Amino acid sequence: MASFCKTLYKRGKSNTSSLVLACLLVGLFFFSFGSAKADQPPASINLSDFPAASVQDVVVPVPSEIFAVLDKLGNPNWKAQLRLGKTRNPSDRGQVALLLGSVIAEGFIAVEAEDTERVKDLGRDVLTLADAINVRKSVIARSKSIIEKADQRDWRGVRAEFDGALQDVRSAMDEMNDENLAQLVSLGGWLRGTDTLTAIVNDNYTVSGAELLHQPELVHYFERCIHTMPTRMRKNLLVVRINDVLHQIAPIIDEKGKNITREKVQKIHTLTSDIVAKINSNS
Amino acid sequence: MLTLRTSRFSLLTLLFLGIVTSFSSLHATVDDALSFAYEAALPYYKQYAIRKDAWGGDLGPGDKQAITTQLFKGNDYWFLMASDVPKASISVHLYDSNGKLVESESWQKMNEKKHFSSAGAHIIPKSTGTYFAIVQIIRSPEERTHWALVYGYKDVK
Repeated sequence: MASFCKTLYKRGKSNTSSLVLACLLVGLFFFSFGSAKADQPPASINLSDFPAASVQDVVVPVPSEIFAVLDKLGNPNWKAQLRLGKTRNPSDRGQVALLLGSVIAEGFIAVEAEDTERVKDLGRDVLTLADAINVRKSVIARSKSIIEKADQRDWRGVRAEFDGALQDVRSAMDEMNDENLAQLVSLGGWLRGTDTLTAIVNDNYTVSGAELLHQPELVHYFERCIHTMPTRMRKNLLVVRINDVLHQIAPIIDEKGKNITREKVQKIHTLTSDIVAKINSNS
Repeated sequence: MLTLRTSRFSLLTLLFLGIVTSFSSLHATVDDALSFAYEAALPYYKQYAIRKDAWGGDLGPGDKQAITTQLFKGNDYWFLMASDVPKASISVHLYDSNGKLVESESWQKMNEKKHFSSAGAHIIPKSTGTYFAIVQIIRSPEERTHWALVYGYKDVK
């Protein structure tokens, strides 16, 4: 850099101020270049270098992130995926939370099936279940909007409202320090979504369709959530069964570089379908 | 005695005010970082659904944090980060579960007029799975810099 300054000095007017100015300009150039270079990310990193405390947990994807992809899996028979029974209102708060998540996921299936009446029923069910766990206020507007938009057959709008309902319910629960119930809402939604996803992939198996099940961190996250729940909730029979299902699913979808075979898809479907039936049952 | 009581009272009042002030300023900065992250996401709102859920925290200069995400092949994602420290240089970059840089583009901005700094990273995942958003406070005049990260998604047509 000094020689570059000297060259500038010789070419320009031979006074000290020019030299200082030139050096400043060159210095500025090198400084800017240096800071731009500092922002270049490394092409690879060693993830094990990050201590556990500096790794934040996964945020559970909202259903529309998954359903947007499902739209591309040919033309599935969505009507066949709908659970048509009347939604019950269990007395156990944990089961209500799981059911609420499941009902919201059901709403997405009804949207895919373009079943206006079912969407409206589910919009009302969201309100009833939210009421049972004291978060009714957070979803009144959403429920109304789901019904209005279903009448207008504004399916994109209905999806956005179901997504919003899920997020609003979870936020309201977090505010009430009911994080565990909020996690059960997410878990209920994930189980019903996976139940449907596996049914659709199984009906028309492709490797790329099955790849959508590659969600290892999400399964581990739910396992950790259950592990850190208060004993009473963790020992809830339904939660115990769900934990068992997660332990069985985890190794199937965590095999790096291996395709998820049709048999594995079927196994996950059986597991999730059974547990969703239990979430929806009276027991 | 009166003087002692008065000084004790003043001390307690000052302590209380101090606690309240630091508590509210702590919240203000976390909230500000989040507001700025949503502001950084504004240009994307038309095309992307921006999630309400967000990550956040505070880091020292040079510190990094890894954020685990589940991304799906067939979707298109933007991750947007902001800090309420306008002169901070911050970044977010996206890596797959093998630690390979996988973003298709990224940017960093110091919005001194708007009093915040921001960064973004874009990815159209080639496979469904676990990804990591690595956020970093590259430089900052503050000892601890609050940051927040949001993301938006849309399906690839």
